[in-house]
Amino acid sequence: MAIKIFFPSACSAAENGLLIGRWMAQHKSAVVLATLHFPFIPGNVRSYLSQMERKTGLSLSVIGTWSHSKKDKDEKMDNFLGELGSIFSHQPWLRMARESSSKFWDCKVERMEGEESEDVVLVYYDQRKLMLSELHSASEYSEIAAVFDTVAKHQPLFAKDKYDEGPVNLTHWQSDGVEASIIVELCKQASVPLCAVISFFVSLITSICNLRVLSGKPLSFLWSKMSTCEQLGRRLENLRLISSSEKAQDHTTFMRKANTFLSLFLDVTLGILLMSWLYQGNHIGQLADALIPVADRIALELQELLQWLMGAPAGLKMNRALDEVLGRFFMYHIHLWISYIRLMSPFIEVILWYIGLSACLGLTVALSILSDIIALLTFHIYCFYVYGARLYCFKMHGLSSLWRLFRGKKWNVLRQRVDSCSYDLDQLFLGTLLFTILLFLLPTTALYYLVFTLLRLLVIMVQGVIQMTINLLSSLPFFALLQRLCRSYRLAAGVKFRMLEQQQGKPLRLLMQINPLPYGQVLDTYRLPSSRCYPKDSWGSLCKKLFIGEVIYPWKQKEEKQD
Amino acid sequence: MSPVLQSSNPGAYTDVTWGQDTTSSPDPVENHTPWKKVLYERQPFPDNYVDKSFLEELRKNIYVRRYSYWAVVFESAVVIHQLCSVCSFSVIWWYMDQDLLSPQKLCGFGLAFTLLGYLIFDAVDKGAGRKESGRTRWRDLKSSLVFVAFTYGFSPVLKTLTESISTDTIYAMSVLMLIGHLVFFDYGANAAVVSNTLSINMAIFASVCLASRLPRSLHAFTMVTFAIQIFALWPSLQRKLRAYTPRTYTCVTFIFAVFSVSGLLSISSVGALLFFLLLISVTFLCPYFLIRLQLFKDNIHGPWDEAEIKEDLSRFLD
Amino acid sequence: MVYDQKVGCTRRSHNDSSKTTEATYCPVGQAHVICMVSDFFYPNMGGVESHIYQLSQCLIGRGHKVIIVTHAYEDRKGIRYLTNGLKVYYLPLTVMYNQSTATTLLHSLPLLRNIFVRERVNIVHSHSSFSAMAHDALFHAKTMGLHTVFTDHSLFGFADVSSVLTNKLLTVSLCDTNHIICVSYTSKENTVLRAALNPEIVSVIPNAVDPTDFTPDPQKIRTNKITVVVVSRLVYRKGIDLLGGIIPEMCHRYPDLHFLVGGEGPKRIILEEVRERYQLHDRVRLLGALEHRQVRNVLVEGDIFLNTSLTEAFCMAIVEAASCGLQVVSTRVGGIPEVLPEDFIILCEPSVKSLCDGLEKAIDQLKSGNLPSPEAIHNTVQSFYTWKNVAERTEKVYDRVSNETVLPMNERLERLISHCGVVTGSIFALFVVATFLFLMFLRWNTPDSLIDIAVDATGPKGAWSHKYSCKKSRKTMANAKSGSSLK
Repeated sequence: MAIKIFFPSACSAAENGLLIGRWMAQHKSAVVLATLHFPFIPGNVRSYLSQMERKTGLSLSVIGTWSHSKKDKDEKMDNFLGELGSIFSHQPWLRMARESSSKFWDCKVERMEGEESEDVVLVYYDQRKLMLSELHSASEYSEIAAVFDTVAKHQPLFAKDKYDEGPVNLTHWQSDGVEASIIVELCKQASVPLCAVISFFVSLITSICNLRVLSGKPLSFLWSKMSTCEQLGRRLENLRLISSSEKAQDHTTFMRKANTFLSLFLDVTLGILLMSWLYQGNHIGQLADALIPVADRIALELQELLQWLMGAPAGLKMNRALDEVLGRFFMYHIHLWISYIRLMSPFIEVILWYIGLSACLGLTVALSILSDIIALLTFHIYCFYVYGARLYCFKMHGLSSLWRLFRGKKWNVLRQRVDSCSYDLDQLFLGTLLFTILLFLLPTTALYYLVFTLLRLLVIMVQGVIQMTINLLSSLPFFALLQRLCRSYRLAAGVKFRMLEQQQGKPLRLLMQINPLPYGQVLDTYRLPSSRCYPKDSWGSLCKKLFIGEVIYPWKQKEEKQD
Repeated sequence: MSPVLQSSNPGAYTDVTWGQDTTSSPDPVENHTPWKKVLYERQPFPDNYVDKSFLEELRKNIYVRRYSYWAVVFESAVVIHQLCSVCSFSVIWWYMDQDLLSPQKLCGFGLAFTLLGYLIFDAVDKGAGRKESGRTRWRDLKSSLVFVAFTYGFSPVLKTLTESISTDTIYAMSVLMLIGHLVFFDYGANAAVVSNTLSINMAIFASVCLASRLPRSLHAFTMVTFAIQIFALWPSLQRKLRAYTPRTYTCVTFIFAVFSVSGLLSISSVGALLFFLLLISVTFLCPYFLIRLQLFKDNIHGPWDEAEIKEDLSRFLD
Repeated sequence: MVYDQKVGCTRRSHNDSSKTTEATYCPVGQAHVICMVSDFFYPNMGGVESHIYQLSQCLIGRGHKVIIVTHAYEDRKGIRYLTNGLKVYYLPLTVMYNQSTATTLLHSLPLLRNIFVRERVNIVHSHSSFSAMAHDALFHAKTMGLHTVFTDHSLFGFADVSSVLTNKLLTVSLCDTNHIICVSYTSKENTVLRAALNPEIVSVIPNAVDPTDFTPDPQKIRTNKITVVVVSRLVYRKGIDLLGGIIPEMCHRYPDLHFLVGGEGPKRIILEEVRERYQLHDRVRLLGALEHRQVRNVLVEGDIFLNTSLTEAFCMAIVEAASCGLQVVSTRVGGIPEVLPEDFIILCEPSVKSLCDGLEKAIDQLKSGNLPSPEAIHNTVQSFYTWKNVAERTEKVYDRVSNETVLPMNERLERLISHCGVVTGSIFALFVVATFLFLMFLRWNTPDSLIDIAVDATGPKGAWSHKYSCKKSRKTMANAKSGSSLK
């Protein structure tokens, strides 16, 4: 295995001196972090390095010498540098030399235990990018991860700029200065009281929400079913996260905070834009005027549909009596609904005006309110669906157990299987009579069920689309995406090497470049947790549920009872 | 009960074609240790040695039953009964549908016959069966009340049940169900398809289908009641009659057959003729063929047969 | 290539003859190349599978070349090598029912012909009448003019429609097969009747057990507790319904009696019901499915082995149990009476009463203590059945078969029609002709001379082991050299 030396490209033009860096024995590679120039006092150097070590927690040492001869070889310098090796005892000892006349560098490894000589590979890296980037999807002990880690952790070493006077004279990457820092500093100062205020409010609201009255049985059920409440709750959670005064410990929490902040910011901005549009013209009035006819229209359409069903829909043979009963029942429901809408109509505009204000809390809140309004406006459809499903479910269960009776079988609950059973004559007679009746009535019920299920599915689909938009807005990691777009090296998926030159007898020179993380992976890694689960049913189980007439809910079911 | 007799014909399987070969098989004459039919001993015979005792244990036709013709004819009466039941049910339905028979009359006749049958049912074994099953008269009354009440309550529903369904569909379904009734009926055979429950249920289903075609709900009620009487109650009476007074049973069968054939005759002469031929062939021709075909039976038995479990093992689980 | 192989072969046989004085690996007659064909082989587990494997190993030990052909099991396909270079072909044929392949009598010909030619097979030995592939191979081998042997492992009745049909097919398959092997005399009678064979060409060679696998437990301490062991699949044919009657009856009679049941199957529910009904949870243990290596440890836990089978050609289980030193109680069905001598087994009729009496007798003997010790039983039983003996006897069959002539085409057709009835015979004669034409086409398409001859890997003298060991030693030498140069 060849020895690899990671060399910062910023140091390639440095003066003669010492190489400061870290030797990783398990990977047989050296990471050069800086070059140290003359003049220096070895004692000072040692104390500085140990000071650094204490700060970073990683070993740091003088690992070799660096000579950069401008014109021709300087024998004296060479000898001097050779003698330095005896002062700093490091194993192995690197001797790197660059001649400006040739492209190739010399590199010798001395005092290496074990084998005599090994190939040396020089890898150039960009210190700044490496320091700032976060490596993803690498195992903890991989070499590249170790290099990234080393460079990132030595940030304090690079903090000094070139005008600083220190005990030692170093060359490494240096920032171009901190001009913008005043504004940043001001912002930081201002954010502290702001955060405190916000967190106070958040805790206030939370404690109000946790009041006994509001979390009682009927109300909590209502809250859990309304997507607005859920969305508000989530926003509250986000605010608490942002306003917490703790500093982000690691990269993930930092990214999470930043993403949350940005998505909140974007959401509120969009919401305020929407609000301004709503209140500019008389848009609310128009909306209210449009809403009532739409609801009326839906009711009318439903009435027509029921009329159609009460006849002979699509030439199907339905049981006339049952058909009529069901049709009338649903008609009465629609009638109730229409009168309810009429009653509401004078107040609609006012209600909408107040609801419009909520858009300042964010676009997602407005959208969830919309979703809730749709749910309320189509409540009759939901009712129809539930009646139809219950009736159908009852019929299916009855038919399946009577079919077993018909065949002389019964369901054994203890063994979970069908056993044969001898029934009495009167049981048989009653069972078959009911079976026949249910069988002949099934098509009618099934048709009503089918139609209302389709309507219900349509509503659920619309609500689903709105919900998906909300989820998208509140879970997209905007900050990470922005970083990926503008500073692609900040999120690294790995590295690639470009070969520079190679010549026999000289070390191979490679340039290390950072592979940015693909967008898909960015989304995967930094997606914000969205509390709303998608329906857990697969398509197959959904179809089965629809077939046996189980009521399906758009919201997530409570944990099923375990018995 | 069984007219069939156990045959005692465990004859050896003699007509083995290679009987001559066995004598010329490699016979180790020099040592006179007899060959033994065991595997654990190394015997001084080649592996393909064929001993004289080869196939000694083979038996032929040991389980063959001998049938007597008239016994089988008597047994066929069960089938005749069921065919006649289906036939007379259809005939009565036709009369009701054409309004040639009033429901009140049928109801009266049905009630009378049921009461008569009920008395006979108890009289024929002098109450022994009742004691054994522990069924009280109160329970009988309750059952019949359930029948009547539910049938009467549901008859208006039945009336409108199949209104929108085509008459042909109803006919097809009823015919299918009645055929099913005949197939699954328990004629005393020990087969997997037999299921008394299924058979009765199919008959009831057919009767409900047909009843829904009748003009009024009283008709429907009468029809379903009649179906119960003829498909559920009548076979149980038959079973008892057959067990206790076979002679009466034969007479009843004959009268019943004559009644149903003549009933069919009043509707269609061709149908009656065909039905008559069917009855004749079931009663006389089929037994004849059964007995003739027994002669061709050639069944081999031996130690390799899968042993049969002869006892009733379900007693351990009751 | 072909020439090379021939040289190799002659050298090998020469070696063989030169070593005849040495003990183990020395065939008396000529060395055969045998192809075992069956649908049932590892990873499937059962009597047929282990029979094929053990027999093949012993035959390899005696200097023959053996290959095994079976169908692919899920991801196990292609060629695998087992101990001693035993080569197994897992062919890509579709499984139809119960691990048996679907057959058309034609589609497997190209594959099988290729194998027979490249392995230079001269005897095809098929196993188990349930295996469609075995019959296919017999059919094709006869068409190609190879010698054929068939081993029947099971018994069949004559009573119902399905057995009438299968017996007819067996007749067709065996009417021109050179030799048939049965595992017991009862099985021989059964096969002779089913396939209408001349009993002269049917040999009886029993199964065997590996006595080192089934030894009594020397540490076992006698207690008052008596344990009855049952190890079998829990299916109807093994008489589990009877067991369901025996357990309550015996547990009622003997309060210190315990039952240990190993195996899995659809009838397990009966045993569970019995256990619940009579509250025997502490006395009846159901172990579920056992692996082959666990069987011995279960057996030695008991004192009496109970076998309730309703039909059995040769019951391996009772031999295994007797080898472990257990007293055996069994039903008197099929070939069971032939398997063990009277003093090791108590035979009963297949009824609850008789089996209970048998168990009672066994318990009395056990309590009176006048039974031979388990070690004594083991020593006697282990001499009864050995794979070495089985292989020797099978070898004799091969020797005999290889001297017989395979029926030529015209005689084969005649035999079919005269032996299997006109209708069936004619239909299958048509198949024979079709297969023959197909074979002609295949030979024209790829002549035998173009098919590569496989390297003989079998046995201690197989090319495989030679070359491998050679290479290995050279490699280690090279390693040593390079190591020294580095230092």
